[in-house]
Amino acid sequence: MKTSILLLAFIVLIVAPFTGQIPISPAKLFDHSTMDHQIFFDIRLPRMLLAFFVGGILALGGLIFQTVFRNPMSTPFTLGVASGATLFTAIAIVLGFGGTSSLFAFVGAMLTVIILFMVASRFKTYDSSSLLLVGIALSFFYAAALMVMFYISNLQESYEIMRFTMGSLDIVGFENIYLLVLTSLFLLSLIQYYRYELRLLLTSYEFAYLKGVNVKKLNYILLFTVSLAVGVAVSLTGPIGFVGLIIPHILKSIYAESADKLIVPIFFYGGVFLVLCDLVGRNLGTVTDVPIGVVTSFLGAPFFIYLLIKR
Amino acid sequence: MLLKITDFSNQILTQITFELKSGQNLIILGSNGVGKTTLAKVLCGITPSGNVRIGNLDPSKIFGEKRAKLINYIPPKLEIFDEFMRVGEFLELGCFNHAITIDKALEILGITHLKEKTCRSLSSGESQLLLIASSLLHSANYTIFDEPTANLDPKKIQMLFSHFKESHFLQSKIIITHNLDFAYKLGFDILFLEDKRVKFHGASKDFFTQENLNKLYDKSVGKIENNIVVNL
Repeated sequence: MKTSILLLAFIVLIVAPFTGQIPISPAKLFDHSTMDHQIFFDIRLPRMLLAFFVGGILALGGLIFQTVFRNPMSTPFTLGVASGATLFTAIAIVLGFGGTSSLFAFVGAMLTVIILFMVASRFKTYDSSSLLLVGIALSFFYAAALMVMFYISNLQESYEIMRFTMGSLDIVGFENIYLLVLTSLFLLSLIQYYRYELRLLLTSYEFAYLKGVNVKKLNYILLFTVSLAVGVAVSLTGPIGFVGLIIPHILKSIYAESADKLIVPIFFYGGVFLVLCDLVGRNLGTVTDVPIGVVTSFLGAPFFIYLLIKR
Repeated sequence: MLLKITDFSNQILTQITFELKSGQNLIILGSNGVGKTTLAKVLCGITPSGNVRIGNLDPSKIFGEKRAKLINYIPPKLEIFDEFMRVGEFLELGCFNHAITIDKALEILGITHLKEKTCRSLSSGESQLLLIASSLLHSANYTIFDEPTANLDPKKIQMLFSHFKESHFLQSKIIITHNLDFAYKLGFDILFLEDKRVKFHGASKDFFTQENLNKLYDKSVGKIENNIVVNL
């Protein structure tokens, strides 16, 4: 199973940039004067990299949230962090700061994490399902606030916000990719650095504490970094749900290893999954591409349910 | 190094004060719900209090290996969030005692065959042995065992007994138990909790007299031919 999905992943990564409404001939790829060259390097490759790194961040973010909040349903999406980023991006669009929407998305993500922490520290005993409920409540609140943004925005802004909430991988050139790659590397290396502590967190808070871990501080560091990365990802593509929930679960059931050993695989396959979803979305023969968020849920939900039944 | 708790009170316990010298052992007794586990969690700093000192350090205020080496707590049940963590991987966490290897610890407790199993798949007795193995690898100055015999079969209780009696891998042991015969045969000092307070703190031979047992256990416990038995 492990080798066959790895093979499949590489096929997806190789095929993806060459297929689309305009197929690209590998022979003309390095001829600078051709259209194929331009489409490949200015559009397809940046798009694939965007999909790959956003998918990786969302999947790994899901794993970390599940570990820290000790609930298999916790992800930056179910706890409202992504909705916070979305709302603040909408606010940026309405206020006319569309150009700095990344910053707003980041602020929205961080604000949500801070609220979650403040609420969690008020609980008499820590309880992951209560926190999940808080996250859901926050998501509803943000959804309502997003409606307000729609209500007060003009037609042009409304349209921009709506496209944003559907999730999109449209990108030209590499400017934003650098930021994304940098963010991904930072997230990956930080989590690798805390691997031992992460494995301790995978036992129990008490056990981790007894082995000397400053659990509270570690949780802050992990959540802050994930929220930063998710904020950057959401600001570039809009909210793409579900990747963070299903990829960690799928990888765990395929590998049957403790989560601290799956950091790189989860990032990698999260990326491949989004590239695959984009590949499907671009090649359905519709007039415009099917929004990425639609494809992830259509592909992911049935497969996820199948896996849960098979267990 | 001295473990000292001074005038600790909360909803469950009142004015708890005692000390335990390094290298000495203690058995904590008392009825269900009297606050033995609460006391254990205060001692090791899981419940921060400010009333505990080990050496001159407050265990709830410091972190890292320095803290871990002071005191360890072995709960009655193994709690693991991850589904797939294996026994061997679990034991790699917190090996502060380099005098003993993971394989040796597994061998001592007779659970070498479990090394590749996932922790979640163990029976309650097997998880208890795993926790005890982890305590050997951790080897803090003080180790608190919370009902270590609760899920063990008689042979394993024998093995654990001789281990508590002779092991040089553990330093000071604080043992919470309901197994009075086990406590009696170990012969360690006794701390008895009742009505939120320390009702008895002293030598084993003074605690296990029929008169004292009648008083503290309301005649439910008898001393017969040098065994402590529950009257049924």
